[in-house]
Amino acid sequence: MTNLNPFMTRLIRAGWIAPLVGVVLFAGLWEAVVRIFDVRPFVLLAPSEIGAELNATPGFFFENALVTGRHMLIGLVISLIVSIGVGAVMASASFIEEATQPVLVLILVTPWVAYVTSVVTWLGFGEAPIVFMVAFTSLPIFTFGVVGGMKSADQSTREVFASIDARRIDVLFRLRLPAALPSIFTTARFAMALGLAAAYFSEGAALSNAGLGAAGKRAAAFNNGPTLWATIVTTAALGLIGLGIIAAIERTALRWHVSQR
Amino acid sequence: MEVAASSDEAVCITPTPQPERTLQYYGVASGATTGQIHAERNGTVTLAQVPSAVSISNVSKTFVNRGRRGPGRVEALASINLEIESGEAVALLGPSGCGKTTLLRLIAGLDRISSGSITIDGHLPAEIRSRKQIAFVPQAPALLPWRTVAANARVLLEVNPNAGTKSSANVDELLRSVGLGDFVEAYPHELSGGMQQRVGLVRAFALDAPLILMDEPFAALDELTRADMRHLLIQLRDQRNSTLVFVTHSIPEAVFLSDRVAVMSGRPGRIMQLVDVPFERPRQPNLEDDPGFFAITRELRQELSKGRAAL
Repeated sequence: MTNLNPFMTRLIRAGWIAPLVGVVLFAGLWEAVVRIFDVRPFVLLAPSEIGAELNATPGFFFENALVTGRHMLIGLVISLIVSIGVGAVMASASFIEEATQPVLVLILVTPWVAYVTSVVTWLGFGEAPIVFMVAFTSLPIFTFGVVGGMKSADQSTREVFASIDARRIDVLFRLRLPAALPSIFTTARFAMALGLAAAYFSEGAALSNAGLGAAGKRAAAFNNGPTLWATIVTTAALGLIGLGIIAAIERTALRWHVSQR
Repeated sequence: MEVAASSDEAVCITPTPQPERTLQYYGVASGATTGQIHAERNGTVTLAQVPSAVSISNVSKTFVNRGRRGPGRVEALASINLEIESGEAVALLGPSGCGKTTLLRLIAGLDRISSGSITIDGHLPAEIRSRKQIAFVPQAPALLPWRTVAANARVLLEVNPNAGTKSSANVDELLRSVGLGDFVEAYPHELSGGMQQRVGLVRAFALDAPLILMDEPFAALDELTRADMRHLLIQLRDQRNSTLVFVTHSIPEAVFLSDRVAVMSGRPGRIMQLVDVPFERPRQPNLEDDPGFFAITRELRQELSKGRAAL
């Protein structure tokens, strides 16, 4: 092991080698299981065939990924903005917090898959119900993050602000919201994962023309295993990109925070 | 209220006075009640504060805890009387839990008085607070970790900008004067504890407030840094002559900083003794080697142990 080439050494040092080994082994096992047990393509498609399907029509999956990505992004941004408003009110009065908490918990635990059809009936076909579902399902998570983070704002600093009669808006934007950022970024990862699932499923349910969920739903209807599995893998890739973007923003925005040192 | 417009100390004088430019006073108008005088100098408005006078009469404070085992009452302060003159520095000295922080918070209007009254220049603390005329320094530096040193020093100027008070303090100059000139772009986590508390001092003095309230701001620092900090604080304060109320459990700190020391004892918190500290201002660090300094610290130590024996 003394003569590892420089490239390998660098990979090991950067901490990339272990995750890479894990993913390659997992894909190999997946491929082997599909081939040995001769699993039907619709049930589980071998990684090599998913790769072939993606390679055959990359433009199709890319365009649909853009649509799903847009649904997710708009929904999450709406959810974040609403959660900051709701969270600020909740963090300011414990009565409001106690009154709002059970409602948010209800939204969180109610299986959204079950009422998607009702939302589609209410908002009609198209993008509205999809964006609504992304925003609605991720709202409780974001709000809990906002409230928890805002309440963690330093007590002494709050007193200093109070000693000059700081207005609520000053306390919110100069103290509570920045203090909540670390916890907002943490919850954003979960909110994104949930929002992505909601976007994929709602696109199918809302009979959308485009989007990975719509493509997956059509493929499933025509018993087209390769396309279905290719949309699943593309959606997962979209999630990874989303996580990467969140981590990148976090690194810049939270340079001051202990988690980034 | 008497307005000290005629005395030179009440007017900000720039370090390099230019004789051909005369100093003009603006009409005091409502300033008479807010304790401020506006002076215009060559187009730049500077402001000098008349230090506040604080009147505390018969103040009691009882905390009521509504616990599971019924309401519990803690009598934190019992009939406190204290008159703090304009421009005076008073230290509240006492053991932990004697209510000195509670008293300071009551003066700042951060907590409600159970009975009695506190007025600052004849006004309620809440009123003075809303005019940004109180500079409050807590025990922790309480800096905003996402702001640089310079931005932290300015944050209180940005908050509540319509309070009707304009600070004439030069924040950059203040930062330089406390030795933070090379650290203006640094973040709090990059600073030592002493440096963080120096930012806290600058943030307070940036307000140019006529009343400074400090709650053991140097308690967490090592002894040498702590001494440096009180020397720095007295320098900043003696230039402005603001009224200062300083909570501490350190006897040398109390003596060095104040004109009078209120020795407190606990349960319920009372002022047992008011001790005059006759040393001249501005005070120099070598005062702490003066035999008179030792005499007063000894006297205070005896008073404090009497208070402990009374518990």
